[in-house]
Amino acid sequence: MLEVAGITTKYGAISALRDTSLTVGSGEVVGLIGPNGAGKTTLLGSVAGLLKPTGGTVTFDGADVTGAAPEKLLRAGLALVPEHRRIFVDLTVEENLKIGGITASKSDRAELLEEMADLFPVLRDKWTTQAGFLSGGEAQQLAIGRALMSKPRLLMMDEPSLGLAPVLVDVVFELIESLRAAGRTLLVVEQNASRMLEVADRAYVLRSGEMVAEGTGAELLERTDLFDTFVGG
Amino acid sequence: MTELLQNLIDGLGRGSIYALLALGVAVIFGVMHLLNFAHGEMITVSGYAAYWAFQQGWSWWIVVPLILVVSVLTSLAIDQVAFRRVRGADDFTLLLTSFGVHFVVFSLFLLYVSASVKNFSRPGWVTDTYKVGSLRIEVFDTVVIGVTIITLLLVSLLLQRTMFGLALRAAAADFDTARLMGVRSDNVIRGAFGLSGLLAGIAGVFWLMRAGQTTPSAGLDPMLKGVLAALIGGLGSLRGAVLGGLALGMAEVLLRSRLPDSIAGLTEGVVFLLIALLFIFRPGGFVSVAHAERV
Amino acid sequence: MGGLFPNIKRDVVFPLIGVIVLFVAVVAGALLYQSILGGAAERLVTLMLINAILVIGMQIYVGNTGVLSFGHIGFGAIAGYTFAVFAISPAEKLKRIPDAPFGLAEVDMNPWLALVIAVVVTLGFALLVGIGLARSGAESGAVAATVITLALLFVTHEVARNWPDLTGGDRAGLSFRIGGALDTRVPVYLALFCSLLVARLYAQSRSGRLAAAAREDNLAARAMGVNPLVQQMVALLISVAVVAVGASLRVYENGSILPDNLFFDLTLVTLVMLIVGGRNSVTGALVGVVVMTAGRELARRLGQEGFEVFGIGLDGAPLDWVFRENLQTVFLGVSMLVFMIWRPSGLLDDWELDEWLYARFGKSPSVKPDPLAELADNTGPALQASGIDVVFGGFQALKGAGLTAETGEIIGIIGPNGAGKTTFVNVITGMVKPTAGSFAIGDIDLTTKPPFELARSGIARTFQNLRLFSALTVRENVEASALIAKEHRRGHAVPNVDAIIAEAGLWDHRDRRARELDYGNSRRLELARAAATAPSFLLLDEPTSGMSNSESLEMIEQVRHMAATVGAAVIVIDHDLGFITGISDRIYVFDQGQVIADGTPAEVQADERVRAAYLGSAGG
Repeated sequence: MLEVAGITTKYGAISALRDTSLTVGSGEVVGLIGPNGAGKTTLLGSVAGLLKPTGGTVTFDGADVTGAAPEKLLRAGLALVPEHRRIFVDLTVEENLKIGGITASKSDRAELLEEMADLFPVLRDKWTTQAGFLSGGEAQQLAIGRALMSKPRLLMMDEPSLGLAPVLVDVVFELIESLRAAGRTLLVVEQNASRMLEVADRAYVLRSGEMVAEGTGAELLERTDLFDTFVGG
Repeated sequence: MTELLQNLIDGLGRGSIYALLALGVAVIFGVMHLLNFAHGEMITVSGYAAYWAFQQGWSWWIVVPLILVVSVLTSLAIDQVAFRRVRGADDFTLLLTSFGVHFVVFSLFLLYVSASVKNFSRPGWVTDTYKVGSLRIEVFDTVVIGVTIITLLLVSLLLQRTMFGLALRAAAADFDTARLMGVRSDNVIRGAFGLSGLLAGIAGVFWLMRAGQTTPSAGLDPMLKGVLAALIGGLGSLRGAVLGGLALGMAEVLLRSRLPDSIAGLTEGVVFLLIALLFIFRPGGFVSVAHAERV
Repeated sequence: MGGLFPNIKRDVVFPLIGVIVLFVAVVAGALLYQSILGGAAERLVTLMLINAILVIGMQIYVGNTGVLSFGHIGFGAIAGYTFAVFAISPAEKLKRIPDAPFGLAEVDMNPWLALVIAVVVTLGFALLVGIGLARSGAESGAVAATVITLALLFVTHEVARNWPDLTGGDRAGLSFRIGGALDTRVPVYLALFCSLLVARLYAQSRSGRLAAAAREDNLAARAMGVNPLVQQMVALLISVAVVAVGASLRVYENGSILPDNLFFDLTLVTLVMLIVGGRNSVTGALVGVVVMTAGRELARRLGQEGFEVFGIGLDGAPLDWVFRENLQTVFLGVSMLVFMIWRPSGLLDDWELDEWLYARFGKSPSVKPDPLAELADNTGPALQASGIDVVFGGFQALKGAGLTAETGEIIGIIGPNGAGKTTFVNVITGMVKPTAGSFAIGDIDLTTKPPFELARSGIARTFQNLRLFSALTVRENVEASALIAKEHRRGHAVPNVDAIIAEAGLWDHRDRRARELDYGNSRRLELARAAATAPSFLLLDEPTSGMSNSESLEMIEQVRHMAATVGAAVIVIDHDLGFITGISDRIYVFDQGQVIADGTPAEVQADERVRAAYLGSAGG
């Protein structure tokens, strides 16, 4: 479904990502793990159109979408839950979700809103609250719900458990589980590596802008050198 | 007391026009961080359109919608010709580009029309007044205030209730994330220029009705008032822009009527001093929008 | 001199040479032009030279602070009127402005004294406006400052029009002849030469360098101890003084002043000259003046003789006089738009003649300095933070976090993403105000101090996402910090700039711009720049982020040695446990905004909670 082939992305003179490749098949849950500064967020940004890769290609459903605008990619079926959630704090929960469904028709949007309210009961209770007043966990659910509103065929999440209390981290992973059970295709960047590897079909390990390992979740969990990759050797 | 009340009503009339101008400036600033020094050009161009229409023997009934349409089209055209090319540039470039737009429009009128003042007839009721108790109220001010209130209500409905309004607010809050959610950046920016042009058009109708004339630099004064009001109110805040406009209008009227005759001509200087003081004590304006710095 | 200019040869001698060359070139060119065309060109040349003074004056502010100003001609108007009111003879004034306030009508003054008064009065206004400018600019960005300058321009115009008692009003204005207008050009030459010299010396001075640092990155400059408000004010005052001289000379040359003389048209002309030439360079500003003067002259002639482009245009006489006059304005407006869209940094960008001369002829072959010796004794009060809470919106980023760092120690902070490590460093460097808790060095409480004061108290930092002064060279980056250290860190060992650069492994790159460095070198420059402030505490936010293993190992050595040479304790954030354990004496482990463990590297490595916080223990 998604094929990233040898992309390089630079900030000024600095390459944050060097010749990196990755694939996500339909219905798969793929994890992308690695230490801070490894280039995980850069990779997602390069796929979603926020950053323009200087080399390599991104192919989605067989079409070359390298460097396409984010609004185009979203319409092609690719959504990103950005790092730090980036919800619109001055808008209400409902308005945030509506923005997510901007591509849908009016009746579809109403249906989707209902669906999200069922999927995230905590949000239903705060429907008309300004999103800035949500707790971290609620805000994360809103960010995911907002991305789901576009009915993406591939959902990318950047550090969904970032800054959440342990009990809320559980909620996020349960959510990933349930999305996986519903047959969604996911590409998830996570710092919480072992939890991610448990729920992922496959995973990639990124370090210093390069892929250093890939395999099924179970395989990577067995890799004893993984801890070193994370915290340095 | 009566005099104060009188001043307040007069100030409200003047401030309403400033508020419409400031709101137009703030809408553009919100989505693309451009402080539009070409915001007055809509009024310049509409002024000439109005002049032309009167030459054809048309009445204000046709001229008013004409001004609105011309204003919106001018705003969109300026975006298309100039601002599209510098999207995402730094503040310095954006500011100077808008300044350059002003000068090109100004020069074109100078070259192909004339530097001289073009007069047209003002509607008769502009100078009519009526009395409420001992207050003398201008019909014009009443219309201005009424139209402004309706406009503000409609704008707020547009922003709250329509998908376009939502997209505009989302884009103003976080442009990249809005695009990630599928908001089309070109549409939002064009829409913002359209809305800004419409607001300038409404303000322009009143401005031109009262002035009864236009010149190649007719847009400068309304531009300055709009930009200044948006700044006083707090850059980036729509509510602030409206408040800033009203405050600026009030301050001008109050000072003009209160200052001794010998220095009444210096009202603008005194207002500027007040603004400088305001920024010393409240640098973010009335409604300070926090600018989070990512460290 | 030594305190004001870091390097006399580079910052004084060569600028002087460069200014002489520029001055001679422009004046000789102008005189040649004049001698070919005869008397007709005389006024054009005089006005060009005066415009050059105005543009150089604007460059001092706009170039060094990066704030666009429309108001300098407004200051010019204040100066011009002050000059006129003082310089005109009482006989003339009693005819034109008999009711002038403060008995000004009777004042009889030599024009050169009037010039001095004009400068002083204008500086008074600049001081007042400058405070508002700096305050609102700091809060709402440079855009806000620009609006204030624009308003100033309009207001001076409006006041000039509406205060006939002082200004002669809108139509009559003030006109005068002091033994004819400017008899010789000597004062203009002198003023132009001086403004060029002032502009170059200022840019090279301590103040100019700090202003440029703040222009490149305001936040990073504050973190190094620069107070941008003060530096912007200095730039404004110097630049307004130059503009005031230029405007007064213009009034003198014209022999009259009307509100419209020093208003929008002149603002446009001077701004376009500045932008086209290159606002970040004095040489560029001067080139802009020459190019645009020539261009306008050409446009004027086209207007007179007629032209046709793509079938639009005019075919000779009879030409509308309006058209003839205004083709110049169109030329200016179009130039501005074209440059903004295709080349916003102007023809020369920030190229300076004297810098080029210095690089070619002036530089003595520099010798790589010897490695710095580590400081033997290294004592001072400890940095202590306790109970720090930070709440963003509803999100609690820090909950009662704290640490103690003794001088000479190396403290590591580790923890997963989002644990609050960077927020903690932001609190200690004044960039985030804690909602509770306090921190102090010894018994001096620093909790509410702004970043630049904390830097001057000895707390320096680096930034995770690299905030270098990108248009400045490596050397200039480090030098800005050293200038601060010299002034505010007296009694501490202020290291030599060259030695620090060599120490950081940047010796071969010292004359490259920071934005041209690769990632590793950018990180090393961050370290060098922070170390050059002679800190007591050096806070490093992820110094090895994005580096390869071998680079990280090298960085460990550099950090350790650099800290020892400047006598600073180090507090280093990293996710890389290898790096942290290799370098630290003690480690604090952050998770969920709290310190969950602290101790020696061995203790921390053995701690189960640390592993859990990192990889996420199975099942939560």
